[in-house]
Amino acid sequence: MVLKDVLTKEAKTAFMLGNEAIVRGALEADVKMVAFYPGAPTSEVLDTFSAALDEFDYQMEITSNEKVALEVCAGAAFSGVRSLTAMKSVGTNVASDILFVLGYTGVRGGLVIVMADDPHAHSSQSEEDGRFFAPNAYIPMLEPASPQEAKDMTKKAFEISERHRVPVIVRTVTRVNHQSGIVDLLEFNRKDFKKVKWNQLGEKYVTLGEVARQKKLKMLERTKALSEEFETSEFNLVAHADSDIGVITSSVSYLHVLEALKILGLQNKINILKLGTTYPLPKKLISNFIKKLKKVIVVEELSPYLEKEIYVLSKDINPNLTIFGKLSKTFSEAWEYNPDIVATGIALATGSKKPNYQTIILKAKELKNDLPDRYPTFCAGCPHRATFVALNQALKIQVSKGQNHYFANDIGCYSMWIYPPISHSDSSLCMGAGVGVANGLSHVIEERVVAISGDSTFFHAGIPALINAVHNGNKFTLFILDNSVTAMTGQQFNPSTEFIAGGRKGKKVLIENICKAIGVEFVEVVDSYDVKNNIEIFRRALDFDGLSVVISRRECALYGDRVKRRKGEPIVPFYVDKTLCKRPYVCLRTFYCPAYELDNDKQPMISRELCDGCSVCSKLCPLHSVKRVEVKK
Amino acid sequence: MSLNVFICGVGGQGLVLLTRVIGDACANSGKKIVTGEMYGLSQRSGAVSVHMRIGDDVFSPLIPIGQADIMIALEAMESLRYIEYLKKDGIILMNNRIMHPPIETSKIIDSKNKLEYFSLDQVITRLKKWTSNIAIVDALKLARESGNVRTENTVFLGCLSALKIFPVEEKYVKQSITDAVPKKTVDMNLKAFELGRKNAYDSLCTQVACREKT
Ligand SMILES: Cc1ncc(C[n+]2csc(CCOP(=O)(O)OP(=O)(O)O)c2C)c(N)n1
Repeated sequence: MVLKDVLTKEAKTAFMLGNEAIVRGALEADVKMVAFYPGAPTSEVLDTFSAALDEFDYQMEITSNEKVALEVCAGAAFSGVRSLTAMKSVGTNVASDILFVLGYTGVRGGLVIVMADDPHAHSSQSEEDGRFFAPNAYIPMLEPASPQEAKDMTKKAFEISERHRVPVIVRTVTRVNHQSGIVDLLEFNRKDFKKVKWNQLGEKYVTLGEVARQKKLKMLERTKALSEEFETSEFNLVAHADSDIGVITSSVSYLHVLEALKILGLQNKINILKLGTTYPLPKKLISNFIKKLKKVIVVEELSPYLEKEIYVLSKDINPNLTIFGKLSKTFSEAWEYNPDIVATGIALATGSKKPNYQTIILKAKELKNDLPDRYPTFCAGCPHRATFVALNQALKIQVSKGQNHYFANDIGCYSMWIYPPISHSDSSLCMGAGVGVANGLSHVIEERVVAISGDSTFFHAGIPALINAVHNGNKFTLFILDNSVTAMTGQQFNPSTEFIAGGRKGKKVLIENICKAIGVEFVEVVDSYDVKNNIEIFRRALDFDGLSVVISRRECALYGDRVKRRKGEPIVPFYVDKTLCKRPYVCLRTFYCPAYELDNDKQPMISRELCDGCSVCSKLCPLHSVKRVEVKK
Repeated sequence: MSLNVFICGVGGQGLVLLTRVIGDACANSGKKIVTGEMYGLSQRSGAVSVHMRIGDDVFSPLIPIGQADIMIALEAMESLRYIEYLKKDGIILMNNRIMHPPIETSKIIDSKNKLEYFSLDQVITRLKKWTSNIAIVDALKLARESGNVRTENTVFLGCLSALKIFPVEEKYVKQSITDAVPKKTVDMNLKAFELGRKNAYDSLCTQVACREKT
């Protein structure tokens, strides 16, 4: 298995996920401090480091948000210790305050920041192009295309970081993090962890006003030196061909380009420049590449980051160059690329024959007519479903009594409330913004604002917004769905869990204590599965003339199942007693549980394989026809 | 030479493990492999897919449209969702199991005009317009026979291993199954593998080239 490959002391080849290759690279580079807040597509970096913790001597934290993670790593790096963090693109927004400062102060020990963009917003609220952080913060950036490169660049990034005393960004995209391939592993050369004597280092990390102005000049010099160094980096590849056409590309787009050239029969017939160091750019290398070309095709996902630089460089070196990219409308700034999109673009630019995908897609569309969608939904046993069933009932009663609502959802598994068949939510934005916008809304709308947060989201960015509400006397109701873990990204531990990185014992932080300590006057804690009683409590919270907080608590079903399996406890499913069921479909209409299907008589039926045994549906059935399967003793 | 396998199913069906096992077997037998994996969010029940590419002249982690030699569908309806990736006359290894999403059920109970579930027959009829090389596998039954209902994914590994165009020798696949699954379930997984293999010989090898039976 792969963890074994991440841990193995021998040099060998292994099949690895991009994220695992990053971990292996950092371990080969003797990383000593790692800290993360989870976020797809980087979560497996955290998970792998956590699983491997007992085998190594690095320090690890699963932090409350990305800014804290980067600060943890900065603290270690100030002391000369190699450290690494990984975050999704939108996580970098949260961490950016400290990121920009680190550009000024620099570091002593290697500090590597893996930043993963998510073209296509597969698992994000936006398609952000994080590359612009690098020039903006004057922080060097490397971009791998494959798991092998992800490993090599991570390792090299530590060296660059220490040589130039600056953090280094390794920027990936989903198709690199979640790409697996064959990776060459090298031997470990790790030294024992030892605490540093800070006073002996003679280091200082301050920046403000005049100090900042001086540091800015140093930062510019540093960037110049990096730019020189990157001119000859092994991560920039040039493939020459007998042609006046060239492709400039980076990241996974490079692999799509190779595939596309094969599809078009243009292999080895076009020049290729693949850039691995994308800030600062190796401008001489690029200039030399475009000097004699008639056409250059720039293949990069999201914004025209490379393309605009190429326009600038071509102005002096080759003003007649025709540049094909996003500005020429050869490619789109939207969504992720694949071999088909890239082949179509290159065909357009080179005047080659386009592959005929349209016929295939049209025929496929015919076959897919009426195929049911499969939206992500709450898992069987998910406590959020139970909370929302009670909340829906409570809201309905409130509406009948004249109280209407704004529903401010947030980012977590509970976001799935926005998908059909439920499709309920007035807003779902970014982490913690549910409580945040509730503040503003409560001043200006007539309806009662209902805000949602998860435990992880509350710790991440919800607390300042709630303190703001208390201080300003804002009136709304916040439901905190405390399922003990950060579920959506793979059930990582958070301050609401009694465990920390590596499954070691930690201290659980109680959300109700925070709420009470900051002065929230209405705080109730309920069991999410107790739907019937919760309806009344939720209504009281909604009627409360002030700020009310309800903490709905029950651990994530997937996490709970894992704990049960480890302890050898059975998961006992339920079934529908056909002799009692009269098909009012209350279960199906209110519950939308994936364990439910209709049988041939259109009678509800529970799949034994999928049922989690949570019992919630059995308590809601008006005919008491949902029963627990008898287990033979 | 290269081989493209498109794998799809529903979250929780073990696509990650299936991919791992084949990947490890390739690594151990000196074959090049690259995969692009899309697991969606970490909830169960969403659509998941893996692009798998074995061979020396593949580059992108994504299979170009119309170039998959084989499609493995751990859930029947999912085969249609990604059908554009399969070559004309490509091979489909498909579970006969359909997992109806809640949205489909809710439309049926709310409909006045007697909507029915999307059926296995409908899936097969449509797939036949694309290819005739379809093996329908009762993977849940075979998994139960193996002693562990969670081995549906391993049943498909068995099916795949029977095919001549699958370039990895059986012994490597079995070895990586042994390495990858929990210790207690190794025997059941190996049994599921054999049952899957046998199933392929019975249902598919009459139409497409298979390896020598061992
Ligand atoms: C700034 C930022 N970091 C990370 C993420 C990734 N992310 C999406 S949902 C989520 C977890 C939310 O956890 P919680 O609020 O406890 O809800 P749960 O999924 O457990 O229901 C995370 C970390 C994100 N969207 N934005």
